[in-house]
Amino acid sequence: MKSYTYFPGCSSEATAVGLDISTRAIAEALGIELKELEDWNCCGSTPYGSLDELEAIAVAARNLALAEKTKLDLVTPCSSCFVTLNKARVHMMKPEVKSKVNQALATAGLEYNGSVKVRLLIEVLMSDMTTQKIAAKVVKPLSGLKVAPYSGCQEVRPRFGFDDPENPIALDEIVEAVGAIAVPYASKCKCCGGSAVISEQDLCLQLMYDLFKNAVESGAECMITPCPLCQMNLDAYQAKVNSKFNTNFNLPVLFVTQLIGLALGLKEDKLGLNKNIVKPNKILAKYL
Amino acid sequence: MEEVRIGVYICDCGTNISATVNTKEVTEYAKGLGSVVVARNYKYMCSDPGQNLIKNDIKENKLNRVVVAACSPRMHEPTFRRAVQDAGINQYYFQMANIREQCSWVHTDKEMATEKAKALVEAAVSRVQYHEPLQSKQVSVNPNVLVVGGGIAGIQTALEIADAGKKVYLVEKEPSIGGHMAMFDKTFPTLDCSACILTPKMTSVGQHPNIDLLSYSEVEEVTGFVGNFKAKIKRKARYVDETKCTGCDECSKVCPVKVENEFDVGLSLRSATYIQSPYAVPNKAVINKKGISPCRVACPAGVNAHGYVALIAKGQFKEALDLVRDSIPLAGVVGRVCNHPCETECERTTVDDGINIRDLKRFVADYEIKMGREKATPLEITKAEKVAVIGSGPSGLACAFDLLKKGYAVTVFEKDEKAGGLMRYGIPNFKLPENIVDTEIDYLKERGVEIKTGTAVNDIASLFKQGYKAVFLGTGAGVNRKLGVPGEDNANVFGAMDFLKKVNSGQDVVVSDKVVVVGGGNTAVESARVAWRLGAKDVTVLYKKSESETPATCSEVEEAKNEGIKFKFLTSVKEIIIDGDKISGVKCVNESKAQKGEEFVLEAGNVINAMWQDVNKDSLPKEMAFSELGYLEVDPVTLESNVSGVFAGGEVVAGQLDVIASMASGKAAAESIDRYLSGQDIREGRAEQMPKKFEVNKDKVKAKSRMVMPTLGVSERKGNFDEVELGYDNELAIDEAGRCLNCSVCSECMLCLKACEPDAIDHSMREQTIEVDIGSIVVATGLKQFDPEVMYTYGYRRFDDVLTGLEFERLSNASGPTDGVVVKKNGKKPKSVAILHCVGSRDENYHKYCSRVCCMYSLKYAHLLKEKLPDVEVYQLYIDMRCPGLGYEEFYMRLQDEGVKFVRGRAAEITNIPQIDEEKDKLVVMVEDTLVRKKRRLPVDMVILSCAIEPNDGAEQIGKVLSLNKKADGFFLEKHPKLDPISTMTDGVFIAGCCQGPKDIPDTVAQASAAAARALAMISNNKVEIDGAVSEIIADLCSGCRICNTMCPYSAISYNESARVSEINPVLCKGCGVCVSACPSDAITSNHFTTKQILAEIEGVLA
Repeated sequence: MKSYTYFPGCSSEATAVGLDISTRAIAEALGIELKELEDWNCCGSTPYGSLDELEAIAVAARNLALAEKTKLDLVTPCSSCFVTLNKARVHMMKPEVKSKVNQALATAGLEYNGSVKVRLLIEVLMSDMTTQKIAAKVVKPLSGLKVAPYSGCQEVRPRFGFDDPENPIALDEIVEAVGAIAVPYASKCKCCGGSAVISEQDLCLQLMYDLFKNAVESGAECMITPCPLCQMNLDAYQAKVNSKFNTNFNLPVLFVTQLIGLALGLKEDKLGLNKNIVKPNKILAKYL
Repeated sequence: MEEVRIGVYICDCGTNISATVNTKEVTEYAKGLGSVVVARNYKYMCSDPGQNLIKNDIKENKLNRVVVAACSPRMHEPTFRRAVQDAGINQYYFQMANIREQCSWVHTDKEMATEKAKALVEAAVSRVQYHEPLQSKQVSVNPNVLVVGGGIAGIQTALEIADAGKKVYLVEKEPSIGGHMAMFDKTFPTLDCSACILTPKMTSVGQHPNIDLLSYSEVEEVTGFVGNFKAKIKRKARYVDETKCTGCDECSKVCPVKVENEFDVGLSLRSATYIQSPYAVPNKAVINKKGISPCRVACPAGVNAHGYVALIAKGQFKEALDLVRDSIPLAGVVGRVCNHPCETECERTTVDDGINIRDLKRFVADYEIKMGREKATPLEITKAEKVAVIGSGPSGLACAFDLLKKGYAVTVFEKDEKAGGLMRYGIPNFKLPENIVDTEIDYLKERGVEIKTGTAVNDIASLFKQGYKAVFLGTGAGVNRKLGVPGEDNANVFGAMDFLKKVNSGQDVVVSDKVVVVGGGNTAVESARVAWRLGAKDVTVLYKKSESETPATCSEVEEAKNEGIKFKFLTSVKEIIIDGDKISGVKCVNESKAQKGEEFVLEAGNVINAMWQDVNKDSLPKEMAFSELGYLEVDPVTLESNVSGVFAGGEVVAGQLDVIASMASGKAAAESIDRYLSGQDIREGRAEQMPKKFEVNKDKVKAKSRMVMPTLGVSERKGNFDEVELGYDNELAIDEAGRCLNCSVCSECMLCLKACEPDAIDHSMREQTIEVDIGSIVVATGLKQFDPEVMYTYGYRRFDDVLTGLEFERLSNASGPTDGVVVKKNGKKPKSVAILHCVGSRDENYHKYCSRVCCMYSLKYAHLLKEKLPDVEVYQLYIDMRCPGLGYEEFYMRLQDEGVKFVRGRAAEITNIPQIDEEKDKLVVMVEDTLVRKKRRLPVDMVILSCAIEPNDGAEQIGKVLSLNKKADGFFLEKHPKLDPISTMTDGVFIAGCCQGPKDIPDTVAQASAAAARALAMISNNKVEIDGAVSEIIADLCSGCRICNTMCPYSAISYNESARVSEINPVLCKGCGVCVSACPSDAITSNHFTTKQILAEIEGVLA
């Protein structure tokens, strides 16, 4: 059984509870051990980095130092945590940064030596698990379910990403592995707005409108995404999109782990489906 | 020894050297060196006055050695050597010190650079004292020229040389010359029609007495050296005799195979047999044949599966059936019962499902019946001998038909009441209806096979007495082998063969409710299905091996299961349980690993034994020999038995055999009999030769499953023997046949052969190699267009109506796929078009260079669009407008006047997602207009991508053959980019056209003429000077190890067998020195780099 150190990320305790619940549940079902990193702290993400660069690295590096002790790969389901932790890891390869940050970590009795591998949950599922093994464990194939896979931007970044930026297919393969239909749609690479939804809401609502419109016109019944921020935007702001553009989109936005969990035969309480704002119960009724 | 008197000359090279090196100081230093008589400093040593300095000094100061310290010897060593030679001393008494590229250009510290220059000069002075007066060689020049590539560059070169009276071999890999220029519509800026200006030249080439046009050929190997090359040229098989073909094109009209037309860049289809374009030179057909399709290779009877499938796809059903009958009779039978090894080998299985080759054969046989079959014409008997065939099963009838086709009179003797053997009596009607067998037998009789039914033959000798000269035994194996278990002699245990024969003969057979069938082949499964139809309610098939190991056809088992028949695999029979005079059941044994040996009882009222078939030895003459297994023994290759003149095949020889394998066996025997009767060697050339495998391109194939065979519903089958599989109709057949990938392209259906009046087609042609002697070679392999599919955001091949430049040329061309009408894929005319510049060019990710012609041809496309579609809106998305020289800028102005909209910006993305109504059903080009600093979305109907020029694929091959250097982007490397764009580093090999770098037609023609002039200059001089600085092998020291032979990059060293030493050909040797360092015996010296000279040079540097 493959073991990993699990870094849930702050959104797992707030807006992405569904992601956390379903991740832990499918790990169990797929036979992967996810050991939560003890005493983990917020990675800092974009906010801290905009205040003080060195401190931001230190905050993230504390997690790396803790993870290093476990001698396992550090896996996180949150795209932003993944990038932040990775950036910190790379910064820590510079001797001047490393010495300063380790000085700070030493006050907590910690030290980071540069041996941790930071990985995205989806990438672990694709390479270590493989879609074939996932497909083999499927108990309830989601036949007939039309899903628009939305990979978000972190999976396809040039430095740490692993999928093709013009035509990412990792999520499509997962959708097909669980027996559902991956709907091809042209907007799959278009931005959801990300954190700009807070400061530039109108612009982002337009972006989301384009996304929903194209997905629905291409035949999708729901969307899946691996990223907590994308999921929150598309889920929580869907109503606002509807009121601004006079539409009635009713597109449930699931976490990819929730979809996998469904196919593995897990029940609602193990998937956190009640946390989704746009209710998925109707379209998922026949698979529950 | 004469006194060494050295003259040293330090060059300033303007300020190139003197700015960093204190040349005056160096000159003073040189004066002080040993044996230096005079040292001078001049601004430009390579100039006339500079050279005269040297020449005068040689005369006046009686110099016998010269050193010049200046630029690289690559630059001016030849210049100074000539000067020195002119003044009367051997040119090798000269040494050059490089104080520019290796000193002043790479250092900034003046003091240290000057010291270095002094050291370099001292080294040269020290060395030159040990130079030898070497002699350069002169070789004669063969006046023939080889031109590789028949585009405009190759054509121009060839014509220039041929017009000068010299012989040219023009080699072109395509079936016609013309290259890319032949594909264009109009040419910029004059808007001449490309073909109109090209075809007169093409015709001249075709008719020129001095040009040997070798089309459809490739250069495989070149050996030799400048002035004396030998080239091996592979002439690919055209399968058309060029001396007979008239270019009438009838062959391509009848050819059923359609593949992508390369000349139309894939926008249209062409036949396998085709003429490349309406102005092809030579105007001869060519047959594109890759080999033999895997389906044909797989068929044991050699049926041309690919051929008849191709004909069906074209709706030529009668021709398809005729093609089948060229190989075998009984098409309707084979089309229903064959185990189709062809379908397993079908390449389409790697995409989705293999082609349903078998049922397509059935379709054409049934079609003939449906349309009303006319009586077949009898075949002519041309041979005196008559042959007897015993048995009218598949092997016997196939043998008889082949012999009849060869002209023999054949009589088939059949012991049963009706002909057909197991086809009639062994296969149930729901699988193979009796009327089909009747029809096929009738066909054979009409063609001339005599069949005597109800006539058993036990005495072969009597046949010979009756006048038959040879006999074929195809009596089959019709005896059920016993199960070998107690209870099997009960009357309720049927042998499957007997059971099926009774049912097929129309006899009443009663079966009980519960029936068990033992066996795993088709016979077992079919017996089960018969039993179900006779009323059995519970039928189980037992087989001792697993389901995957079952020999029965998958579809048979599937249909049986549909009919409710149960299967118990991994089960064997131990005993048949008797109950009075009936049987009550079967004692079975479990053969699976998990439960091995476990016994259980299956209730049954009847058991059908379908285990194995044996030969009835008693029905065969006693003198025949039998194998250990109990079958007739024959020679495996010739099929001759131990009795002279008696041959045998099919199941009597092999036990259980599939119908097609039996027929193949009969055919082989027919071949043996023919040879036997005509006195030829029976054995020669019979062993099979595996044909070459080749790649099949499946990139563009869209997945499309096999057409489903309509079948009778299960409820409609119960209690009757109506045929279950209903057969394809015309539409389904054409659809299914249309899925064929045409692996080998030409299927050898032979329709072209029949259509060709001058009898020019010859499918047995093979590729040939010829050897020619030439003195020089001009490489003009041309260009290829960049494939923009890698640029995902431009949507090429993802969206309809995104075209490359070449595709647009064909669309616009009057002889193109749309006759010159510019339309979208859906046939509608575009109202707006965007032309994108620099696709693949000026791009860090693909090619950094500018392809030079795209701005101009993009303007040309804009003009053509405006001309053909008066109201069309045209956008040109450019970075810079590159219109240099005469006429080009004017053309640009003209297009601006024509109302073309120029947007300065490189397109970012092409999308089909509309944001506003005007963008619906349009392609939206997203671009930043840098002049107005706005991001724009341009909704258009069509996008043309002006793609980069890359070197042609053929360049790779010819580059290896000639060891030509390439530049970073793959174009051939010229000797000097400014002063010699025609020569290469290989003496005697020149380059011209786009293979050297992207350029337009006028520049190509100019360069081609220049290459021709260079070649003619060589010929006119009739001699070439070969450098004397070569290496030599001292024969006395050579041990004959031959290490140097393989090391020489110029293949200049060979081994003298009689003298047992290696020898260097001084003409091929370039003096590189690799062999010198490799020789373990120190037997090789480089005569201009001797140890003494090198050591002297080192001492000079260190002084």
